[in-house]
Amino acid sequence: MHSPRPGFRAVSKFESLFAYEKPLTDGYKLLPFRFTPFDDQNYVLTNQVGEFLVLDRPTVETFVRHHLPADNPAYNDLKSKHFLLDSDSSVGIDLLALKARTKLRRFANFTGLHMFVVSLRCDHSCPYCQVSRQSDDKIAYDMSTETAEKSLELVFRSPSPNIKIEFQGGEPLLNFPLIKFIVERAKSINELQKRNLQFVIATNLANINDEMLEFCRVHNILISTSLDGPADLHNKNRPRPGNDSYQRTIEGINRVRSTLGRNQVNALMTTSKASLGRVKDIIDEYVRQDFNGIFLRTMSPYGFAIKTKWYEAYHSNEWLKFYFDGLDYILELNRAGHVFVEYYAAIILAKMLTPFEPGFVDLRSPAGIGIGAIIYNYDGDVYASDEGRMLAEMGDKTFLLGNVHKNTYEEIILSDALLAPIEESFAASVPMCTDCAFEPFCGANPVFHHATTGDFVGHKPTSEFCEKSMGIFRHLIELMRSDVEVRRIFTKWANQAC
Amino acid sequence: MSHSLTFSKQAYSLEAIKRAAYRFSDRLSVEIIPHDEVTECVCSFLNVCSDDEAQRTLASFRTEVLDHDLRLTIAKETEPMRNAILAYAFSKTGLQGSE
Repeated sequence: MHSPRPGFRAVSKFESLFAYEKPLTDGYKLLPFRFTPFDDQNYVLTNQVGEFLVLDRPTVETFVRHHLPADNPAYNDLKSKHFLLDSDSSVGIDLLALKARTKLRRFANFTGLHMFVVSLRCDHSCPYCQVSRQSDDKIAYDMSTETAEKSLELVFRSPSPNIKIEFQGGEPLLNFPLIKFIVERAKSINELQKRNLQFVIATNLANINDEMLEFCRVHNILISTSLDGPADLHNKNRPRPGNDSYQRTIEGINRVRSTLGRNQVNALMTTSKASLGRVKDIIDEYVRQDFNGIFLRTMSPYGFAIKTKWYEAYHSNEWLKFYFDGLDYILELNRAGHVFVEYYAAIILAKMLTPFEPGFVDLRSPAGIGIGAIIYNYDGDVYASDEGRMLAEMGDKTFLLGNVHKNTYEEIILSDALLAPIEESFAASVPMCTDCAFEPFCGANPVFHHATTGDFVGHKPTSEFCEKSMGIFRHLIELMRSDVEVRRIFTKWANQAC
Repeated sequence: MSHSLTFSKQAYSLEAIKRAAYRFSDRLSVEIIPHDEVTECVCSFLNVCSDDEAQRTLASFRTEVLDHDLRLTIAKETEPMRNAILAYAFSKTGLQGSE
């Protein structure tokens, strides 16, 4: 038998079995975590960075009372997911701190999404529209070059290394000359600023022409459009003169793809009452149009959706059934070999299954208003979010931060209209959220709660936002628990959403 | 109709009971009355329900109080660790003050 060389210590590839059989007497320390009932027998537990476990209630209580033996099947899960610390988990704190820093790093970057309402005019008259539009002959509702210039000064005051400028409306292409001005001016400013600069036009595509497409190609501009489903449903939801919205949208998508490339156009849908029984038709339409996925979106309680009472047309339970049916169908497609993603689930799964924070504004705490996304209205008013602008169109200017012609960057960003809702709605210090195991996946959403209850926090036991969000969180976890194949598919979605 | 539940002051904190009462405020209006040895909760149902439903809700409320008691135990025990992890997480970012 050879003796080891001096300075050389023989190591085995694996620890001995004994190393894993921790004696009870060593004990363990609890690491911070939350728990919430999951079903009649089980609780879901989440740690500080959103890693989760589902355990039965007696195990949770035994664990919290420091009586869980190391040979309990749950012990290693609790240890590997940073719910406990024992004498041989010395890297546990380092790993947890690294994951916490990764989760929170987006906040330090500050505002990355800057939305410009270049025109409030629109050729559509969608009853669920979240913006009170004006008819398309009123030039008074277009943004001026002076307002755009002042807004761009504020955009580049954000410290974010990534700046995305999104053109919104109304229908932004009705003021295409201003889009050209903003893109060219922003790129000129960026020659010195050296940010990662991106542009998106949110358009119904009804009026896109060759000049616009060529400009988008030259400047690498992404297109985001609306597609609510097959022709009859889309045209019912999105009326316009000639009742040809669907035809124009599909033609527009094809033209964008042939000029800019297949992945330069994305589509969003909104769920109306008429959509409820038709989730498969809607998904089939997205598959037929060769999209890689779909974002199943509920209606929002703002603008015309309130005036026309379309928002009240269905209850959150009905929407959840629509969403779950859609998710089941999408999973069927994936099992059959067709890779197709539900993007809202993918955002949540990224929070559940990765150390990264995807930064979706509605699912952030502190809220993403102002500090994640900000909106410059056609008249120079600055709002904390697109939804805040929609409320203002209804007469509620709670989220008006200032005006680009009258206020400085400091006055706008440090205004009470921004700081108060962010501070008050911070989920870690809100009743019920502070104890909720789903908090790492959820968001503060002060604009929604203000719109529906009159305060930034809302009443969580009756909050529709809570009901929908927790319904989805539970469903996603249950699907992963009951089917390994689903877990594999969801992990892929999560990694794509980061 | 109201129902009275009592919780030993030795076993359950007022904080745990208040949190449970808030959580159940979509179903129950809870009046919390501290006595010498116990805390009494007078629970009134917001909507009409059967006796069975009422008993199930009250049993769930008791479990919820126990859950909050455990949560408070976790929060108290892990507070230094929680602060340490966040301090450590940001220790190299240069974002902390110099104090």
